[in-house]
Amino acid sequence: MSPADSHSPIFGGRIVRPYTMTGGRTVTDRPLIALEALVAATPDGMRRRRQFQWEAAEIITRSRRETAVVELAALLDVPIGVVRVLADDLRAQGAVTITEPPTVLTADSGGEAHIDLLQKVLDGIKSL
Amino acid sequence: MESSHSEARAGLIPVKIVIAGGFGVGKTTFVGAISEIEPLRSEAIITEASAGVDELFGDGTKTMTTVAMDFGRISLKHQLVLYLFGTPGQDRFHFMWNELARGSIGAVVLVDTRRIEASFAAVDFFEKRATPFVVAINTFHGRKLHPIEEVRHALQVGDSTPIVYCDARVRVDVQKVLVTLVEHALDLALITS
Repeated sequence: MSPADSHSPIFGGRIVRPYTMTGGRTVTDRPLIALEALVAATPDGMRRRRQFQWEAAEIITRSRRETAVVELAALLDVPIGVVRVLADDLRAQGAVTITEPPTVLTADSGGEAHIDLLQKVLDGIKSL
Repeated sequence: MESSHSEARAGLIPVKIVIAGGFGVGKTTFVGAISEIEPLRSEAIITEASAGVDELFGDGTKTMTTVAMDFGRISLKHQLVLYLFGTPGQDRFHFMWNELARGSIGAVVLVDTRRIEASFAAVDFFEKRATPFVVAINTFHGRKLHPIEEVRHALQVGDSTPIVYCDARVRVDVQKVLVTLVEHALDLALITS
């Protein structure tokens, strides 16, 4: 991010242009993909990646190793909304898979799966 | 979430923790101290009602605004990948916190005791939302430690909410804060169950 951007967040750099990549769409009709959802290229997507426009092809290439939506946005230097729309399209075409965060964190507070997940996270952080 | 993948890097499970607090309190430093990648910045473009313009045209004209978020990543055992999200500091972006808090394990509210009021909004937000949170007093300015009870009183948080000291630059301090948070979230989940 250039200093000019940080001083002028409103209309700072690119406002309309990014969405030309998505045909002007900023939302999909499906629930919003989480910021931390992991995008993974499928073998088919890797094979066909040159058929996609640059940003979509880049998403496939970068998600050869599972990569979060928010990371893709930062790496491609495009807004999060653009990655959401493109990743959703790529998923519909079988070029990537998307792993959403576990729903137990929102839907089943206190449930067995929730507690199991928290214990694993705790163990993971302690083992760093 | 069950996974049938067997490749080493496949079938990862993403989880997140929110790092909140006022502007300049050390959120990105905190994330950077433990992240396996240099903290990255990503931007969301949002529409925001502009009061002045609305009055002028009376047609709900919206302004486009860019919100920047810094985040880091930590790969954990058990196929987990933990994302740490620093909240946008400016007050007018508080609505973005909803998206960050949704599905999170919990939040760390960083406090700079020189400007403790800068973290009031974060405490309000997570309390109202019933998101598990802990308060971490950032001591990186090397100032005399404020007694925890003083901070607890100023923030008006209950005894059940952990308050700890940390130097946001020091990895092991940050790790301890995250452990405290997840233990707290686990306690709350066990009460619910």
